[in-house]
Amino acid sequence: MRVSARRVLTGLLILGGISTLTQFLRFCLPCRQPSQGAGEPVTVLVRDGWRVSSDVPLVFVGGVPRSGTTLMRAMLDAHPAVRCGEETRVVPRILGLKLGWAAEKEGVSTKVLDRAVTAFLLQIIAGHGEPAPLLCNKDPFTLKSAKYLAHLFPNSKFLLMLRDGRAAVYSMISRRVTIGGFDLSSYRDCLAKWSGATQAMLTQCTQVGSKRCLAVRYERLVLHPRSTLQTVLKFLGLPWHEGVLHHEEAIGKPGGVSLSKTERSTDQVMRPVNLDALTRWVGHMPPDVMADMDAIAPMLGRLGYDPRANPPNYGQSDPQFLNNTQRVRTHTHTGFC
Amino acid sequence: MRGQKVSMLLGCALLCSASLLYLGLSGIDCPPPDHAHRHTWADAHLGSTNQSQASPIYYGEDTPLIFIGGFPRSGTTLMRAMLDAHNAVRCGEETRVIPRLLAMRATWSRSARERVRLDEAGVTDQVLDSAMRAFLLEVIIGHGEPAARLCNKDPFALKSLSYLARIFPQAKFVLMLRDGRATVHSMISRKVTISGFDLTSYRDCLTKWSRAVEGMYSQCQGAPEGSCLPVRYEQLVLHPEVEMRKLLSFLGLPWDPAVLHHEDLIGKAGGVSLSKVERSTDQVVNPVNTDALSKWVGHIPSDVLREMDDIAPMLARLGYDPLANPPDYARPDPIIAPKNYTLADDDFLLLSFREQKPYIPVRWRRR
Repeated sequence: MRVSARRVLTGLLILGGISTLTQFLRFCLPCRQPSQGAGEPVTVLVRDGWRVSSDVPLVFVGGVPRSGTTLMRAMLDAHPAVRCGEETRVVPRILGLKLGWAAEKEGVSTKVLDRAVTAFLLQIIAGHGEPAPLLCNKDPFTLKSAKYLAHLFPNSKFLLMLRDGRAAVYSMISRRVTIGGFDLSSYRDCLAKWSGATQAMLTQCTQVGSKRCLAVRYERLVLHPRSTLQTVLKFLGLPWHEGVLHHEEAIGKPGGVSLSKTERSTDQVMRPVNLDALTRWVGHMPPDVMADMDAIAPMLGRLGYDPRANPPNYGQSDPQFLNNTQRVRTHTHTGFC
Repeated sequence: MRGQKVSMLLGCALLCSASLLYLGLSGIDCPPPDHAHRHTWADAHLGSTNQSQASPIYYGEDTPLIFIGGFPRSGTTLMRAMLDAHNAVRCGEETRVIPRLLAMRATWSRSARERVRLDEAGVTDQVLDSAMRAFLLEVIIGHGEPAARLCNKDPFALKSLSYLARIFPQAKFVLMLRDGRATVHSMISRKVTISGFDLTSYRDCLTKWSRAVEGMYSQCQGAPEGSCLPVRYEQLVLHPEVEMRKLLSFLGLPWDPAVLHHEDLIGKAGGVSLSKVERSTDQVVNPVNTDALSKWVGHIPSDVLREMDDIAPMLARLGYDPLANPPDYARPDPIIAPKNYTLADDDFLLLSFREQKPYIPVRWRRR
């Protein structure tokens, strides 16, 4: 009996010793900052008592310009629960600025800088349009920072628009849409840049994960709008709304699609979804570029667009939407992509 | 018995090393942030509504911020260190990001075409200003300890003085002024790089100093009545108590003798936090002194000295005799009433962004 009592006592003493040691270690060892996600959400006052926090549900639509980003956001805007609005232009700039600052070890801490960027973005994204249950932002190049945005906005999702690079590049060159870093006098340069940018965005999208980032093919969107949008709305957790298939009817209406007079896709997106722009690029690629296509733009092959096929088979259109293309063709005079 | 003891000891030792290893590797979470912080901010925030302390505090456009700035090497760090010593104020180190964001904002509003595009996108001036305010507040608030009066020191932030005065109507500005020759000598001798300034040429630096200071000074004068106070570095170090009393009265703060001994509060809670990488840290750890007043004498090339008034017209205008080497700082000339020039904010900002190319005054009219 005595022996076991002593044992118990020794055992207790040992336990006491261990717990004291642990407490002591708490102070001695460097402690780890609690994960960013545990921080208080950033809240901003937008206007008239409308407050928005960084944990609000948010969707970012992007991709290389001329890949159907405006069409996608217009169709989403036609949904009563969503508001994207026009390209803000400043969102990618502040993200670019932040990227430049990331290397600095002086000045403010990363945590404070992230909060400041979050506050800025919230004010712009919320403030430039009307309130809606799901706020959305479309600035094409933001998807290059998808991972960072996913960290700032824990309830955000991403839609990456993908398109045959040849079509995108033909569109930017023929319409003379200036895009930073793209030399509009050279198909070769633009295709190479398209490939690099697409790869970067796809990488970010993969890193964010399939639950939060969905890649959407432009060709599939215009050929099969209903099923594609069903996938998109399901991904966003939104109920189906027939209006998304007729975004052109919601233009300029309250709660509908707001277009900018100065954006380059406005004249196209005013029309119903159609197939006009699918294969217009065929016959416009310089032969030397066509010969080297796979080397210039490796992402073509990787995304399943046959670099040797002019054009590849994008698929068959849904019959009900063939009418749109006919209607649009009889009303359009000049063929710009 | 012995065997058992040994094995028990071994078992203990094993357990201890295992826990040490586990804790060391996985790390221990830091204790949760002190919620007393929120309460201090709630008390500190002037103009807050009767919100419960549990809900977050919203700083808005009425926050009475203090912005300290001026040309680098003009005593801006000394000024903010002395204010940091005041029990109600916290400035903290340079943020470095604030001037860059302000510069970017200026380029957006500079181009008429861009303004139209932004307006069309719903990104109106009002939306942009709210976003800028939100960013600036998050940085200034999060940058250091809470305080009743928050303050920011980034020298070139005052290149956007008028803009800051517009988005923060209750803010006060402290513009540090100094004899350009001393400033430029400090830059060159200490090799403090500033983009656009050629550190091998006194002439180039003095010319650009003059233009930069002119821009900031004119904005200071154009700011709403009683919101901007120019402070001369020389007067601050020669008569610290007089200058600080004037300054604190301007800021609406009670007198605190600690401001005259900022060196005692370095690194202390509620005191002066210094940056390891800022160029003035080694100087500002010392008490206020007059060492740096006339170090520049004898270092400026004679051809520059001869043409001083033409190279740096702001010298004379700020009351620094361009031909005296050195002037008698103890008996300062008054600042000359500015000529009637209108240098609109946009124009000035246009100038400052051409720092990489030769300064060409564009669209400014004298008298």
